[in-house]
Amino acid sequence: MASPVSVYNSNALDTHISSSSRESLKMELLADVSLLPGEERIIDKETIYICPFNGAVKGKVLITNYRLYFKSVDADVVVMLDVPLGAISRVEKMGGASSRGENSYGLDITCKDMRNLRFALKQEGHSRRDIFELLFKYAFPLSHGLPLFAYVTQEKYGENGWDIYKPIEEFRRQGLPNNKWRITFINKNYELCDTYPTVLAVPFKSKEEDLRRVAAFRSKGRIPVLSWIHRENQAVIVRCSQPLVGMSGKRNKDDERYLDVIREANDSTKLTIYDARPSVNAVANKATGGGYEGDEYQSAELVFLDIQNIHVMRESLKKLKDIVYPNVEESHWLSSLESTHWLEHVKLVLSGAIQVADKVSSGNSVLVHCSDGWDRTAQLTSLAMLMLDSHYRTLRGFQVLIEKEWISFGHKFASRIGHGDKNHADQDRSPVFVQFIDCVWQMTKQFPTAFEFNERLLLTILDHLYSCCFGTFLYNCESARDQHEVRLKTVSLWSLVNSKMEMYLNPFYTPESGRVLYPVASMRHLELWVTYYIRWNPRIRQQQQSPVEQRYKELLALRDEYLKKLEELQLSDSSPSSRLANTPNTSSSTSSTPPQQYTHLQTPL
Amino acid sequence: MEFSEHIKTANVEDVVLRQTLHPPSRGTLCVTGHHLLFSDREEGSCRQVLLLLRNIDAIEKSVENLLAYSCPFSNAGHSQRISGSSGTISIKCKDLRVLHLDIPGMEQCLNIARSIETLSCLEAVSEMYPFFYRPSNASLQDQWGLSSPEKHYSQMTELHDRWRLSTVNRHYSVCPSYPPAVIVPKNIDDAMLEKIAKFRQRGRFPVLCYYHRKNGMVIMSSSQPLTGANRKRCMEDEFLLQAVIDGSDKGYIIDTRSSQQALQARITGGGFESKSGYSSWKRLHRQMERGKALQESLIKLVEACGDESHNMDRWLSKLENSKWLSHVQTALSTAGLLAECVERDGHSVLVHGSEGTDSTLLISTLAQLIMDPCCRTLEGFLALLEREWVQAGHPFQQRCSHSAYSHARLQQESPVFLLLLDCVWQLWRQFPLALGFSEALLLRLATEAYASNYGTFLCNNQQERCVLRVKENTRCLFQALLRPRERDGYSNPLYEPTELAIWPSVHPQSLQLWRGFFLRWTPQARHLEEAQEEIRNMIIEWGKLALS
Repeated sequence: MASPVSVYNSNALDTHISSSSRESLKMELLADVSLLPGEERIIDKETIYICPFNGAVKGKVLITNYRLYFKSVDADVVVMLDVPLGAISRVEKMGGASSRGENSYGLDITCKDMRNLRFALKQEGHSRRDIFELLFKYAFPLSHGLPLFAYVTQEKYGENGWDIYKPIEEFRRQGLPNNKWRITFINKNYELCDTYPTVLAVPFKSKEEDLRRVAAFRSKGRIPVLSWIHRENQAVIVRCSQPLVGMSGKRNKDDERYLDVIREANDSTKLTIYDARPSVNAVANKATGGGYEGDEYQSAELVFLDIQNIHVMRESLKKLKDIVYPNVEESHWLSSLESTHWLEHVKLVLSGAIQVADKVSSGNSVLVHCSDGWDRTAQLTSLAMLMLDSHYRTLRGFQVLIEKEWISFGHKFASRIGHGDKNHADQDRSPVFVQFIDCVWQMTKQFPTAFEFNERLLLTILDHLYSCCFGTFLYNCESARDQHEVRLKTVSLWSLVNSKMEMYLNPFYTPESGRVLYPVASMRHLELWVTYYIRWNPRIRQQQQSPVEQRYKELLALRDEYLKKLEELQLSDSSPSSRLANTPNTSSSTSSTPPQQYTHLQTPL
Repeated sequence: MEFSEHIKTANVEDVVLRQTLHPPSRGTLCVTGHHLLFSDREEGSCRQVLLLLRNIDAIEKSVENLLAYSCPFSNAGHSQRISGSSGTISIKCKDLRVLHLDIPGMEQCLNIARSIETLSCLEAVSEMYPFFYRPSNASLQDQWGLSSPEKHYSQMTELHDRWRLSTVNRHYSVCPSYPPAVIVPKNIDDAMLEKIAKFRQRGRFPVLCYYHRKNGMVIMSSSQPLTGANRKRCMEDEFLLQAVIDGSDKGYIIDTRSSQQALQARITGGGFESKSGYSSWKRLHRQMERGKALQESLIKLVEACGDESHNMDRWLSKLENSKWLSHVQTALSTAGLLAECVERDGHSVLVHGSEGTDSTLLISTLAQLIMDPCCRTLEGFLALLEREWVQAGHPFQQRCSHSAYSHARLQQESPVFLLLLDCVWQLWRQFPLALGFSEALLLRLATEAYASNYGTFLCNNQQERCVLRVKENTRCLFQALLRPRERDGYSNPLYEPTELAIWPSVHPQSLQLWRGFFLRWTPQARHLEEAQEEIRNMIIEWGKLALS
């Protein structure tokens, strides 16, 4: 028996599609598109967007040198698309001149951000030839000798995001240099290691020639350097690439001595080496000249963290995309999700970082590497630092963390994302950074008051990871950025973020400087990040997003008001016995809340 | 009955209590008629654990005859004294907590275990703890309950034109599971109601449970009609339903069984409203699991949640196999359908399954939360539960006598109320501003429904409560929850009332395991509870100072 009322939940569409009057039809459809400075219209065309949620929608598509914009003409439903061309990984022709069937001729566009777009065009007169060629050209500018859009636009912001990270200042904040660690400029011309930053922190005892000898034994010259030091116990997180052990089991006395110097710096009994890879992969790497630290490193212990490589992660996310776009898997959702292994990979990355953080907070120095030390290593060091150091949990501190551990240490953003490059099947592409942001999101879910920033920041970061609108994520390493004058010629994403900070703040943030966060890396406590991975599906979209954001904004205002009043109170009443005055930011810890305790380590290892 | 008959050993010293979230502690264990009391006697500690015996779902005991009693405390003084035998009792509670007690002396251990086994499942309601609970801050003269059908009716003046309050059931003779007063169409007199009651299972004739102010449409509930194999009809029943949609073109009947099940019900005397008798009514069948299937689903889920095995592979598959979330999905989407009929389609709806005491109440409650802002405040929600569950005769006693750990043979147990709370939690999660109460309230209710100091969830219906004089002899939970101090903890600090309906998304991707309940006794869930508490206090504090 057919139900006379709509099948329950067709209503969720309402937020996405609002009806508009016939009047607006007469207006030029694409007139209201606001373009960025330097953005130019390339072509527009009548087309049909084959929306997986609303069916075929007639409208007009506009291609600029920055975006693909679509708006429907239909009065009943307003469908709009605004996609930065940077998010496109592949453009294909769909159907041929002789294809039969409605809407079978057109363009099929695969995006990097978990969606596909299909447009149908008129079959006669090669109607898609020009739009296909232009889209192909501007979506992949580097393959066509064109500049990335970040070099074309020059949006002005009140803040200069390029100033957010200054390596020396960051080391100083950590208490460096000190009598055990020094800052070296040995790499100022990228001669020691062309994928490292120019400023490095190394053991005080090791001389420049020691560093050079160690570099010869580490893949791509990525020697062990300090990422973070624990203020009290002086234990450090050191990162590097794999040792060049090879099939013959080569040794390098300098490398062995160097690692021992690192251990000595805070009198750790053992230096723990976390090799992010599964042990079989580490062994297999010997065949190509790599490998891992063997028994000759007497004062070190080696732990494999079993995290899979970039190819496995890429395939896993691809599987996830298959079950959420265009249609979400309904009948066996949880077991399908399980079979993508995405959450399991997230779990392994998180639990690896927990082990690193735990080791360091108990006073033992650690060394982290994988093969090249720019993917899994970056995930582990940055997540461990996020757990250990509350500074990185602030809005600005988080930017520093990304600038430092990812951008400056040569996570190959250009290769992993494929900015402006047409080669969609490039085996170097991988969502390693997306996975890191996912891990951060999991942490913010588990510790709702520990992060100064909100989910919107994470979404914004991922959007501009692809957009090519900002210079932040362009190129593979600092030397390439210098060469292309990124800091001079493009704008930093942090300029945008820091000029509208209130949009990215978590009203419930409670700074607790000494606190180490140990998330629970158990499948039971991990969730799929639905608001990112399934955000294009209007039926799944989290409800009432805008009122919630509005309410949070009000709460932020209320908090500011509160802090202002508090300050006034403190000024007028300087008596230290005043309870309020004693707890400026942690006002919440009133009598009813037990004192915050460190969450216990709960990792099924 | 004397409780002392069942207590051979009332006190044991040197018991070690092991429990997640706490380090093991040593102390004295004491059994009373209704409680298990553990007092820590370590120096500097004054930890006490008071556990309602009723909360215990299952116990497992293991005794060992050992020469030396080994324990986490290798204290010479102790081990000398305690030698011989010992035992361990594992206590699994209805609120999903698990405790382990290491008890010196095999006999004492067995005695305690026996006492727990007997006293935790007393049959006689009048011997249960609510009849003995006498807190100092409340008196038995306090108001019991939040509202009554009479009051409810008198407040809704807009329906007085067409609806009346009938006291045909004042002696519970027409329908034992209904309250003494119910709201029915004005032109249906008590004599007709008595006839209709005979035509509906257990006398649950159609009564009004919700009036939608925006368009005057209503939700009615009942049990199935007793048409039987020979398709009996009842003119009065048809007349009543016709009166409900008076002036409107049609109404919907949402039957919470599949059409197949409804057909089969005729064989055992039940049935459904046929087209010929109820031509203006359109039946919609939505199959909802009930009874045993639901209880088994809960058992599987809790088993998966408690699986401590080293490797937690296949957790998501286990979660899926328990089917709990798909029950949540069905309940929410059926409630959504009901609300859609009333709010969007503008028609009145009659809801029933077979008995009308479980899934019927579930979806009518959820639909009211979706549509009616008044139900979304703390008081409004409690009043809704009182009306739709306590007064409307959800058999709490039968449904909640055991929970997921029990080894007892399943009888009438079924976690329908828990499923409701889970669905409400999903709403709360999807609409963080729209509900006036907090997750803490839902957790409290989930605990109280199974074991309580209060009389609210005792018995199966109002008649039984009346016979046992529950109102006179116990305290009311809902009143207690609304006392100023409690109330603060149960309100949602983000609450911002909205007049709009809150349509939940029911895709599996939008539903989550209610970790706060099912993984409640893990450090992470505890931590999140604390964080929510922190956020609440924060907002209250800001409000106080900023607006002062």
